[in-house]
Amino acid sequence: MANLHRTSSLKRTQQRMAVLFILPALAVYALFVLYPLAMSLWGSFFIWKGLRMVEFAGLSNFSRLFVFPSGARLYGALWHNTAWFFGIMVFQNGIGLLFAWLLFLRDRGAAFFQSVFFFPAVLSPVIVGALWRLLLAPGGVVEWALNGLGLHEGSLTVLGNSHTALGMLIAVDVWNWMGLPVLIYTAGLRQISGQIFEAAKLDGAGNARMLFSIALPLLMPALGTLTTLSFINTFNQFDIVYVMQGVQGNPSYATDTLVTYFYRLAFGAEGAVGITDIGLALALGTVLFLILSIGTLLMLRFFDRRTVQL
Amino acid sequence: MSALAIPHRTFSPRLARLPGWTVLVCWTAAVLLPLYILVVSCFKTTAEIYDNRLGLPQSWAFDNFVRAWTRADLGHNFINSLIVTGGAVILTIVVSAMAAYPLSRYRLGWNAIMLGLFLSGIMLPIRLASVELFTLMRKLGLLDSLTGLILVYSAIRIPFAVFIFANFMRVLPSELDEAARMDGAGEVRILFQIILPMVKPAVSIVAIFTAIAVWNDFFFPLIFIFDDRYKTVPLAISVFVGQFRTDWGLVFASLAISMAPILIMYCLLARQIREGVGAGGGMK
Repeated sequence: MANLHRTSSLKRTQQRMAVLFILPALAVYALFVLYPLAMSLWGSFFIWKGLRMVEFAGLSNFSRLFVFPSGARLYGALWHNTAWFFGIMVFQNGIGLLFAWLLFLRDRGAAFFQSVFFFPAVLSPVIVGALWRLLLAPGGVVEWALNGLGLHEGSLTVLGNSHTALGMLIAVDVWNWMGLPVLIYTAGLRQISGQIFEAAKLDGAGNARMLFSIALPLLMPALGTLTTLSFINTFNQFDIVYVMQGVQGNPSYATDTLVTYFYRLAFGAEGAVGITDIGLALALGTVLFLILSIGTLLMLRFFDRRTVQL
Repeated sequence: MSALAIPHRTFSPRLARLPGWTVLVCWTAAVLLPLYILVVSCFKTTAEIYDNRLGLPQSWAFDNFVRAWTRADLGHNFINSLIVTGGAVILTIVVSAMAAYPLSRYRLGWNAIMLGLFLSGIMLPIRLASVELFTLMRKLGLLDSLTGLILVYSAIRIPFAVFIFANFMRVLPSELDEAARMDGAGEVRILFQIILPMVKPAVSIVAIFTAIAVWNDFFFPLIFIFDDRYKTVPLAISVFVGQFRTDWGLVFASLAISMAPILIMYCLLARQIREGVGAGGGMK
């Protein structure tokens, strides 16, 4: 009886202590993340004057978002983000798998290569963007090297050319984050039992066959993590564009993304006069929020179903 | 099948591995060459950068560093970044460890719901809330303030930190806190003197990834900081790049200064960072 009394008083103390312990983290998190996010979604249904909510507007912000003049910006940015995502999937998460596999086959040097490959990922995108902007500038070292090798003539203007600028930014992003897939794939490969590869080798499977028929199906959780992360990161892309091409996504919006467009609408750099359009910005935010949450959920489910259990 | 295997055997195994090594060495060069150019250009004048692209500088002059530190006032930004990063790391660790302790070790009946609420924040696109966040910060008087940045960064990093701490604390034996409770230790002491020292790897993962994310961030200073006195390093750099466009030596030197703390940390903690990323992928 005394024991029972003791446990129930312990339970009550624990409930009280738990609330006190959780409160600081919950307060900071709720005030600076959950509350502004909820208010942004709610505010997208209102008409705004400057930073003041005026009256309920239903879906009118959304209908303005998809038509001229905003529509051109929106679809342009959406296309650039989508191209960016597929570029990252092929050139970063695809080539990264090759690098990880090569490191997995070698018993020496893996730690060294992993550390070198990952290093750009700990640098600020501002540093990475500024560095590559200097290297790729007309008169920069890349122009000098290409001219010297006879691969190119004259002034290099890849960042100023609307056909090549987006591709260059994607390449810089690949350079920046290549270490991430390499680390995640190698961690995944090391969890696969060595016996499986031994057995395949005895059956005469070559390296390429082992990678695609045995390792890849077992790497589905790693691929799922990478796809989801790449999706979230590319659809939040802002820093590299801002530093290398400016907030307008130069030249002539060729590198504009959803978040740079959002930033211009919200903080006043869109259009000739540069006034803010908060209603439109919040509607864009809500659309982007839906794209991100639905996309993420679908991807998690897709890869969950394809996870092979051994 | 055996016919296919023959060509593999006729090569010596070392020679067969040559293409693979070449690929790995090529990417290593692609990573290191731009960083090498960055470092040697810091010591060159702008004219020398154009004349002598890849070579070592004629003299190891620290002129560019001195100018970046004084004329561009990078020293000031550097201190701001240190304060914001240090503050956010400490606040995130303390409040997240406090929240994760009862959520992972008490039987409350609402652990799962609360944990889910925190975890949902790992994926939330917080940049989209920046308009409302701006309004909130203005009301609270936290614009142009390092405290404001510390609070926002902590709020963003808390979900990841709670997730890591809860995972590490959950697997500790329950005898640990029960024995301490028998001895009359309070819950605060149990957490900070018994549980937290047992989950040191979690503390270092949270500290490393919070520090990297906060030190490098550029978006929130861009929208919350207008006064030069409170600018952090990435924000200042983004201004320099436009302002001193033609003074390449100065820009390279300021880039080198701003990446120095991260470079030092990376050299010391490369193994923990590799393992942390491989295990959780919890970057960005």
